[in-house]
Amino acid sequence: MSTRVTNEMVTGSTLASLNKAQLALQRSERQLSSGKSINEPSDDPVGAGQAIALQSTLDGLVGYERNVHDGIAWLNSADGALTGLNQLTSRARELILQASNGIDSQADLNNIAAEIEQIAESVKQTADTQYAGQYIFSGTATATAPYQQGASDAYAGNGGSIIRLAGPSAGVAVNVALNNVLGEGKAAGDGKLLDTLRTIAEHLREGTPAAQKALSGEDLEALKANIDALSGLEAQVGAATDQMKMSITRIEDLTLTTTEQLSHVQDTNFTQVAMEYSNQQAAYQAALRAGASIVQQSLLEFLH
Amino acid sequence: MSIPTLQGLQTALSGLLADQQAIDVTGQNITNASTPGYSRQVVQLQTNEPMRIAAIAPGTGAGGQLGTGVMVTGYTRIRASYLDAEYRNQNTSLGGASTEVEALKQAQSAFDEPSSAGFSSQLSEFWSAWSSLANLPASEPAKVAVVSKGAQIASTLNTLSSQLQTVEAAAAQQYAAIAGPSGEVQSYASQIAQLNQQIKQSLLARQQPNDLEDRRDLLLDKLSALGDVSVTAEADGTDTVSFGDAAKPLVQGPSVNWPQTLTAAAGGQLGALLGLSGPGGALAEYRGALDEVAAKLASTVNALHTATPFFSGSTAATIAVAVTASEVQTAAPSNPGGNEVAIAIAGLRGGEADQRYGALVAQVGSAVQNAESDEANSQAVLSAVGDQRQSVSGVSLDEEMTNLVTFQRGYQASARALTTMDEMLDTLINHTGAVGL
Repeated sequence: MSTRVTNEMVTGSTLASLNKAQLALQRSERQLSSGKSINEPSDDPVGAGQAIALQSTLDGLVGYERNVHDGIAWLNSADGALTGLNQLTSRARELILQASNGIDSQADLNNIAAEIEQIAESVKQTADTQYAGQYIFSGTATATAPYQQGASDAYAGNGGSIIRLAGPSAGVAVNVALNNVLGEGKAAGDGKLLDTLRTIAEHLREGTPAAQKALSGEDLEALKANIDALSGLEAQVGAATDQMKMSITRIEDLTLTTTEQLSHVQDTNFTQVAMEYSNQQAAYQAALRAGASIVQQSLLEFLH
Repeated sequence: MSIPTLQGLQTALSGLLADQQAIDVTGQNITNASTPGYSRQVVQLQTNEPMRIAAIAPGTGAGGQLGTGVMVTGYTRIRASYLDAEYRNQNTSLGGASTEVEALKQAQSAFDEPSSAGFSSQLSEFWSAWSSLANLPASEPAKVAVVSKGAQIASTLNTLSSQLQTVEAAAAQQYAAIAGPSGEVQSYASQIAQLNQQIKQSLLARQQPNDLEDRRDLLLDKLSALGDVSVTAEADGTDTVSFGDAAKPLVQGPSVNWPQTLTAAAGGQLGALLGLSGPGGALAEYRGALDEVAAKLASTVNALHTATPFFSGSTAATIAVAVTASEVQTAAPSNPGGNEVAIAIAGLRGGEADQRYGALVAQVGSAVQNAESDEANSQAVLSAVGDQRQSVSGVSLDEEMTNLVTFQRGYQASARALTTMDEMLDTLINHTGAVGL
């Protein structure tokens, strides 16, 4: 028996193909209007999982970039402060050289001693430099000023390091242990910068030949050693700054490739979808036209 | 031997009656062209018992059998029962797949992924908040941000868990509604049992119950969407119906065995609902995975946030932030002002919690995708089988119109034969032997 085609079959299949065409149109329309090829996880389950992971990676990179910029600003503050300290110590050295030529009167030496003490206060003031309200030379005790003005040269901070993450497990210390160079003054007798400056001032005031000798001898040596240590810190800051700047380039590259990957996974390929959309539209119109003409036809039209 | 004079009238009459009945059947087909479950009927025509004439040829003495017209022996329902079985098979698959698609899509939309409002984005913001806090470990606003992002992801997990539970509960409710005492299974089964009874009686009265059988077949079609249906046709015309994986037949003759226990293997809507809502069902599995995400999140963060636990609760439904902004820990107690804890927690980004959640989203997406493709496949096969069935049983109006013309012409011709015989008899009765009258 040949296949009979009944009216129900014709209307049913017309309806089914119209539905199918419309469903395809709707899918394309959603991709075009949202700009995303994955609007629900079921559109592409693997892609959806990837998109979630990539988006989180991207957010993480934004965080690293913020960390790096913050770290660089922190290091720039430290660099500025160290330059200031350098100038102060150079001035102290000049003063000692001037005092050790042996022609100054005791009154002149006393004036020089006063200036040296003033320099010691300025050194402490510079060490109290803040960035964004945080003391940068207090270790992790960023709310505490490392040094108090006045006679006491005690260090109030700690030895902790401030870490900025420039990438996963790429922590960079953005603070330097200035207290290791400045020391804790006369009371500690540690031979560090503040101790040295205080000793120099004392020797100047004493004015004895022994003191004079010490000034041009061990005091000058100690100051030189302190200046070298400061330069060491400057080099450390410079190296950390370079490392941060390189991180920025690497983070920007990573951001670019991750963004590309994410776009590849979840963004609509407009050219392709627009093409499909117009094909689907043509198919829908053809289905409508065919349906409209075929459903009307019947033998009834021709029997009289 | 001669032929009875009025035999021709009887023959023509039988033609008139047969064509009339055929036209009635055509009318029935046309009016039911769009009736769901209707199978076209055809009239069965057969020649009447012939009249035996001993010797019509006096010369040779040869006899003959003269036809005495036509009779209607019955109205046959055109139906292919093997197509019914295949149709119901596919209908069961489609019922199951559609139910799964519906429920799984609800679950999927609860996740709201991928979007900037979904859990993954919020989790990412939580890690970013820790990263910002690491830059300003003493900052109160940064700590408040960490606590509020933490509270946000905790409450999103709570909501997600309860949404999944709602979908699960809705599936269980739907099962109860369909399988319950006033549900569709009970209703279809008792109608089928009643039709079994009526069909049996009609057959005993030697009447072919075409329309009753159509109604019973339609009910079986509907039942097949709810679960596996297998039908055994009994000799007395009743159908014994096995349903799902129930132990006893659902319908046997005039009696109904319902309610019975079904499992996820019952197929159809009921099987799918049990598979979704049961203890080992898909939705329970998703909630379990979500609990794992919550547990991983709490354990990894708390392991680093050692001063006080940051999160309390270890399931998606119970997880909550347990600290205030001032209790947020950024460094070890021995290192006040440090940021190593904040850095370590920010470094959990992309860790176990993120991965477990990403896998869950992909799992839900795959389940929806599979169910959708199952649905599309069963739909395609079902409409192909449906077309085959329509091709056999469906009413073609063109065909019926052609039949109508055929039977009408037949009726007209029989009437013409009757008129011709009438004229012959008129000649015989009124004009024969009336010479000169």
